[in-house]
Amino acid sequence: METLTRAPAPPMGGVRGVDRTPFEQFILHEARLLDDRRFRDWMGLFAEDGTYWVPAVPDQKSPFDQASLFYDDRDLMKTRVERLEHPRIHVQTPPSRTAHLVGNVVVEQADETKKEFLVSSTMIMVESREDTQRLFAGRQYHCLRRDGDSFRIVQKRVDLINCDSAFEAMAVPI
Amino acid sequence: MLDRTQDEISRLVEPGRVHRRVYTDSDLFELEMERIFGRAWLFVGHASQVPKPGDYITTELGRQPVIMVRHHDGSVRVLLNRCTHRGAKVVNERCGHAPRLTCLYHGWTFDTDGTLVGVPVPEGCAADFRKEEFGLARAPRVGEYRGFVFASLAASGPSFEDHIGPMKGNIDDLVDRAPDGTLAFDAGMHRYVYNGNWKLQIENVLDSYHVPFGHASTVNKQGVQFARREGDQKGAKVVEGDQTRTASTWKDRRSYIVGNGHGWTSNTALDEGKRSSPAFDEYKRVLIEKVGAARAEQILTPRLHNSLIYPNMSIMGLNIHVRVIKPIAVDRTEVNIYPVRLVGAPAAMNFGNIRLLNVTHSAASFVQTDDLEAFARAQKGLRSHGTDWVDISRGLGAEEPDRERNATRGLATHEMVVRAQYKAWAGYMHEAL
Repeated sequence: METLTRAPAPPMGGVRGVDRTPFEQFILHEARLLDDRRFRDWMGLFAEDGTYWVPAVPDQKSPFDQASLFYDDRDLMKTRVERLEHPRIHVQTPPSRTAHLVGNVVVEQADETKKEFLVSSTMIMVESREDTQRLFAGRQYHCLRRDGDSFRIVQKRVDLINCDSAFEAMAVPI
Repeated sequence: MLDRTQDEISRLVEPGRVHRRVYTDSDLFELEMERIFGRAWLFVGHASQVPKPGDYITTELGRQPVIMVRHHDGSVRVLLNRCTHRGAKVVNERCGHAPRLTCLYHGWTFDTDGTLVGVPVPEGCAADFRKEEFGLARAPRVGEYRGFVFASLAASGPSFEDHIGPMKGNIDDLVDRAPDGTLAFDAGMHRYVYNGNWKLQIENVLDSYHVPFGHASTVNKQGVQFARREGDQKGAKVVEGDQTRTASTWKDRRSYIVGNGHGWTSNTALDEGKRSSPAFDEYKRVLIEKVGAARAEQILTPRLHNSLIYPNMSIMGLNIHVRVIKPIAVDRTEVNIYPVRLVGAPAAMNFGNIRLLNVTHSAASFVQTDDLEAFARAQKGLRSHGTDWVDISRGLGAEEPDRERNATRGLATHEMVVRAQYKAWAGYMHEAL
């Protein structure tokens, strides 16, 4: 993370005195937008300086000097979403259907002065397309910035447990 | 059943068409592994992946596991990754460092040139057992050009120079972009697989005909693709504004062949004058400082899109990378894409290249994913017996000599490059090892 760093062993129950409920609600909402293919609304959850990162190796230190499966800033995310809305995106003809399950939500860090929080959770996404069903699983880290009574995503990082495998085409964000 | 005669192979490839069996017949695939991947010069890896003695990577040549390792005399060795005792894969990690290579199973230990140096419980060996006969098998021939390591699994055949020579300029085109004149393959890799024949990928890298249709989803309402290079404000014009015709600049692009199945396509037309960003400008400044303004201008003037070094490797000049093709089965292929770091270039420029390669060629990219869909659908369609022939006749007879490049030239929307690949294919396939 650029702002908050992952802790190898976060405190049990997360940061003391911080209620995880609003964070959990936000992350479940984010997953739901992906499952509903509301990609433009999904993109709207990101801060203007927000990034979406899926590393290509375990414990990848940086997106800047290594290949990543995804590393989108808002500009690239916009191109991605426009493509997902394009009628002739062949790899989504027919479209993928996905179901996310998110749990084990922990508020790992809180920086009240910057109003930023690092929230980790375990995710499973099942994807079905053309008689093929695939499973993606891993731990995701949301760096969230308080924005009024909700949050904006400063960075979403998804560490897939099989991130260094050879993949068939991955057309939708995880 | 395939009788493997020259006559039967000849019947599969005609001037403007190939039989669908070249994509679907598993007997033919086995023969390809023997007659093409078993003897052609294949790209293995880059010397920068094994900088110090004992550094190694593991990869596959065709389907065979190999180790590329730096020996203590400084040379790069290519060893077959198979214990000479009971056959276990000796090195399992994708990369690492080891002064000796030890098999997990019974502990046989090999030096980094393959020599067998240790056998546990040696008193049990047969009376006539000779350690020197049990070294790891070596690729009989290894060649290197500017860090690009190739190997042939056959002891004889065309020389490295004969095979790679005509494509050295295409390697230079990439390497010379590094201010220090060398590349580093140290930025990870993209790996993707598809349910399709390996040739679908090598045909595709030199196919400029498919772009307006296959990649329609990457093109905006003005017919312009997204910006794919650091410093570009927009990409190439692919289709005309009316969205019904391929753009004229696209149709004018050229392709070239130089024998041996190799070929390349010319660059996409971009507004070089407008290319600017803090990272690119700084890179240009550093390059000029190193090589002078005139040479920098030459280096920065794009000439190449994709270059194919037949049969298993391509280099891209737009989103710079090196691509390695690994056949798994007649209908299954893995591809590895290495970002390349331009040594001496500012970190921000190398990041710009890596960042954009993520969205053009990762398994989750905007460009490659539609190609993967096309490969899988081709493989499905080719099950049909509706016709046995695959048409590759575009531009047949329109080829012309290009004396300046010592090549044969055609239009990039033609299929001359595919015909050249099948000419090389038939050449390998005709001849028993």
